[in-house]
Amino acid sequence: MTTLTDRYVWAAARTLPETQRAEFGRELRERIGDVIDAHVERGAAPADAEHAALVELGDPLQLASSYIDRPLQLIGPKYFLTWWRLLRLLLVIVVPLAAAGVLLGQLISGADIGEMIGSTIGTALQVAVNLGFWVTLVFAVIERSPGASVPVSTWTPDQLPQPRDDARAGRLGDLIASVVFLTIFAVAIVWQQFGLVWIDGERQPIPMLDPALWSFWLPYFIALLVLEVVFAIVIYLRGWTWLMAALNVLLNLAFTVPALWLFLSGQLFAPEFVEAIGWPWGQASDITVTVIVFLAIGVTVWDIIDGFLKAARNRGGSALGGY
Amino acid sequence: MNTDETTLGHIQELRRGTVVLACLIRLRTPDYGYALLESLNSLGILVDANTLYPLLRRLEKQGLLTSEWNTDEARPRKFYRTSPSGDQLATALATDWRRIDDALARLDTGDAR
Repeated sequence: MTTLTDRYVWAAARTLPETQRAEFGRELRERIGDVIDAHVERGAAPADAEHAALVELGDPLQLASSYIDRPLQLIGPKYFLTWWRLLRLLLVIVVPLAAAGVLLGQLISGADIGEMIGSTIGTALQVAVNLGFWVTLVFAVIERSPGASVPVSTWTPDQLPQPRDDARAGRLGDLIASVVFLTIFAVAIVWQQFGLVWIDGERQPIPMLDPALWSFWLPYFIALLVLEVVFAIVIYLRGWTWLMAALNVLLNLAFTVPALWLFLSGQLFAPEFVEAIGWPWGQASDITVTVIVFLAIGVTVWDIIDGFLKAARNRGGSALGGY
Repeated sequence: MNTDETTLGHIQELRRGTVVLACLIRLRTPDYGYALLESLNSLGILVDANTLYPLLRRLEKQGLLTSEWNTDEARPRKFYRTSPSGDQLATALATDWRRIDDALARLDTGDAR
């Protein structure tokens, strides 16, 4: 007949490596026997004493873990920071890339907007969950492999973050606004290819911009938008300087001048589009054209001035604004 | 967290290293786990069985204790004995312990300030 002690020893020993089981079992039996004896000495019945002794020893799995120094946490302090830094880095890089990839694919295949948003968010979530799971699994395995020596990330003072000053916190809003606007703009340039005109509730396959522009100008504008995003990120990190304000002038001119020229020379819009929306091009539209041109120039000039104003304000800046 | 819990935590932390020292000194005369536990506790060196048994195993693995099964009695028992390197460690730890005790005493009386 198996006693409670037998069962306890078996339960505790089976989680150990096979080579340690026999010795561990023997040690544990000695310990349990001594505790039972102590209980009997204090006047307990032998059966009660065994029960009480095992209660005293507690959960066999926990006991076994304490004997062999097995970690009772998924990832211990030795690897936690390495795990956390790697996971954060991967999430920040991989998830947006995957989401952007899906979004682009959907755009090219001409999916409708609901499907596009749905599958982009779905993919982002899936990628994030998968990253979390696999990275954590690898670290949990390393934590449990006694021989494994993974280079624990060594910290250097270079990794110190810049104190997050108010100026940068204020620029965060600008950054988000710029990135959202530029992304929508770039998406719109691609999107218009599939038609923006609805007639009788049906989308007409008429591009808004002249498809001939795809040979150079549209890729050029999209590349410029990407540059603008980079520029916005640099502004967020470093703040406005005279150099950045000057670069802002160049970026603005690089965009507005060709766009206006294409618009004024009638190359910008596809002829079918102009016809479909019934715009009397070249006749009574002089005022419309003038308004559009002035608006475009006005926005550009304002953006340029705004850059210089911010650069000027930054020069007098706060004690923390020394970069 | 109440004050008692905090106090208890600090006391436990203070005692942690002294259990190793106590074992190494006490086991210059071989003994088995339960007897060691009893004798330490009766001396006022309070230690939990769930701490002591794994500790003995670890010290043996580090070569600070040697062990031998004694099968003379009805139940086999594992007898531990402090090894020569364990003895050296005990001397070093004891010296350090006294040094800290001295320093604390001087701090307390204000001699060092």
